[in-house]
Amino acid sequence: MANEEICAKIKAMLVENLRIPEDELEYDSELFGDDIGLDSIDSIEIIAGIDNLFGVQMTGAARENFQSINTLAKFVEEHQQ
Amino acid sequence: MNNNSDKRRIVVTGLGIVCALGDNVDECFKSAVNGVTGIREVKSVNTDGCYANLGAEAKISDSELSDEDFDRSSLLCIKAAEEALKDAKYEITPENSERIGVIVGNCVGGAASIDKYFTDELKNGGGKSSDILKMPASAIANNVALHFGLNGTTANIVNACAAGTISIAYACDLIRAGKADAFCAGGSDSFSSLAFAGFHALHALDENPCSPFNNSHGITLGEGAGILVVESYEHAKERGAHIYCEILGSGVSSDAHHITAPRPDGQGQMLAINRAIENSGLKPSDIDYINAHGTGTAKNDEAEFLSLHTIFDGSDKLSVSSTKSMTGHCLGAAGSIEAVLTVKAVCENVLPPTIGYTEENLETLKEKAGNIDFIPNTKREKTVNFAASNSFAFGGNNASVVFAKNPHEIPDRTNNERIFVTGIGDYSSKGRIDIQSDDYKNLGIKMAFWRKLDRFSQLMLVSGMRALSDAKITVDENSERNIGIIIGTSDGPMTEIVNFQKNVVANGTASGSAFSFPNTVYNAAGGYFSIFAGIKGYNVTNANGVQAGLQSICYAADVLKNGDEDIMVAAGVDEYTDVTEYLYGKLGLLGGKMELGEGAVSLILEKESSAEKRGAKKYAELVGYASAHKSVKFGTLVGSEDALEEAILRACECAGITIEDIDLVCGFGNKKLSMSSCTYVTVNDEIGDARAAGAAKQAATLAKMLNESDKYKYGLAISFGLGGQYSAVILKKAV
Repeated sequence: MANEEICAKIKAMLVENLRIPEDELEYDSELFGDDIGLDSIDSIEIIAGIDNLFGVQMTGAARENFQSINTLAKFVEEHQQ
Repeated sequence: MNNNSDKRRIVVTGLGIVCALGDNVDECFKSAVNGVTGIREVKSVNTDGCYANLGAEAKISDSELSDEDFDRSSLLCIKAAEEALKDAKYEITPENSERIGVIVGNCVGGAASIDKYFTDELKNGGGKSSDILKMPASAIANNVALHFGLNGTTANIVNACAAGTISIAYACDLIRAGKADAFCAGGSDSFSSLAFAGFHALHALDENPCSPFNNSHGITLGEGAGILVVESYEHAKERGAHIYCEILGSGVSSDAHHITAPRPDGQGQMLAINRAIENSGLKPSDIDYINAHGTGTAKNDEAEFLSLHTIFDGSDKLSVSSTKSMTGHCLGAAGSIEAVLTVKAVCENVLPPTIGYTEENLETLKEKAGNIDFIPNTKREKTVNFAASNSFAFGGNNASVVFAKNPHEIPDRTNNERIFVTGIGDYSSKGRIDIQSDDYKNLGIKMAFWRKLDRFSQLMLVSGMRALSDAKITVDENSERNIGIIIGTSDGPMTEIVNFQKNVVANGTASGSAFSFPNTVYNAAGGYFSIFAGIKGYNVTNANGVQAGLQSICYAADVLKNGDEDIMVAAGVDEYTDVTEYLYGKLGLLGGKMELGEGAVSLILEKESSAEKRGAKKYAELVGYASAHKSVKFGTLVGSEDALEEAILRACECAGITIEDIDLVCGFGNKKLSMSSCTYVTVNDEIGDARAAGAAKQAATLAKMLNESDKYKYGLAISFGLGGQYSAVILKKAV
């Protein structure tokens, strides 16, 4: 389980920047699946948002890191200075 | 050519350009054929922190482009129109002024003024409210009309990067339909932090000067305006005008695929190109030159390459170039600047190249060019009898128009079929709509789709889908190309634009949002609607004040009469958000004067043959429609009242009735006309000032009343647009 504080920040960012309804977004929701349906433009926004929040660069990071809020948070934890 | 086909001839009699290559046609064309680039380091936008810093800003001093009343986009357009009207030796008189109008394409509206206002607001202690009236794209054509005293119809075609081509196509259609003698037609767009930040966020900018069909690493943004005086042949002949060339047919289509990317299979592009060629009475092998859309993004270039090869591989004489390699991508002006260059190429038998090829690139080109001559680096001298100009846009909008050196008979597919209102989709409210997720669920729209849409697009999507559902229309492979969309708006997606711009002002050009940028173009709503519904026909958005909600019905009816589609969705859309309230509040219009509302109201207009075939229910028959214009300052109406009367009279003439026949009026009747015995209804109690949505709702209300009651036979809806544009629509009880 990833850091709760990081997850909460990422979730707030996704809700604000990508207009995902808050009550339909769990930490393990599949972001690029059918329900939430993120695409390549959204991934640009996530990369910018993560950089903004944590100063962590995700450009070129492997696809599996973008799977859910949990995997994003884990990547952030591992790459934070 | 016989007399009858002479009546359908449209000619170009004047040209005007301002762009990075120069501030007049001769200089721009000379540079273009000589492969001189206008691409340099950007000066007007702060590119700190951006990975790219090149652009093609207009070769004109800022002092020539600053004005108390007009935004930079309007000023660029006026500059080009001035050259074009002078070139055409078109003398505007009180007698002929109402027969020449202005139809211009635009993408970012008054982006320079939006940037200035919020920079002043956030950093300099307060923005000027006079800058607010410069923000909407609605202002541009009306400003141009006012400047030159033109009183023909105006329209602002806001279909992003295809706008400059669609505006020329629409102008020709209106002239052929007898609604004007001539138009200043073309497009304009200014360089802006909005567009630069947006394309930067999408990683769509090339670090180096763009070289379409070659490096395909991205676009280089440009700015400018291109205006063509397009005129009926008979009118041009009568006044002894110099004729550059003929404009034959055009084609407009939708990809119904993705909000920013073109269909990889090129199907939408090919539909537009093929329609243009067919509507010109030509075969692909007749075309000598195509000024390609050729942006330089990998996705555009691959799709357009495929489209061109698929259509033209049987031809052994086609030359293709992208002048964007020199002018940059001028967005809403692109199609018009390229049209001017294409006209010159047709007249002078010399073709501008695509520049930027190295020796190595030339070898690669040999492998992939096939039969097509891509004119690398140096001009091509050859006889050009027929040439086309292509434009493709965000939202999946495609357009192509064909020019010819000599007169050429074009097929006449116009028809006099009756048109019926067969469906209504109303998603509107006084105040703000309380949008519920059930509103989407009921229409089968998933969250993964609607969450990407800004409010403006969401309103249109729900309204449009409700209208299709009400009309029981199934969009499938048999019907998808025979259905089109016309959307009218006053203010467009101003909320998304303002929020995007405020973020760029506060945090820098490099911080633009890739998520919201696609929604800042006015035609995104039409794009999303076409994608969800699968509609692949005509697709145009017109920003032209409140009356745009009725002008959309006029436009849609003309598309049906022209034989382009069987079914049209005509809509009016405007939103009400904190941004709307803020802007109207700053203009001092709230608190008694205006009570804001919002929504989208869509009407399905259908040819009788199609309605009969489907057994569609008929709310009412559309029997009369017209627009009229009397130029006054944008933001005002006073002094333009005669145009209201004119619009009503023209609509009556179109319907073959007199004013006395009208027994139901929605909107406001003209006191000068004897209409006192009519029943008057208003939509304001239900919808407030929902601007273009209100205007469309007036027509929808009439259609429902005529359907439900036997008391009325003819209903009139009428509306106004700031700057002096009016539209009127007459519906008749369906029998």
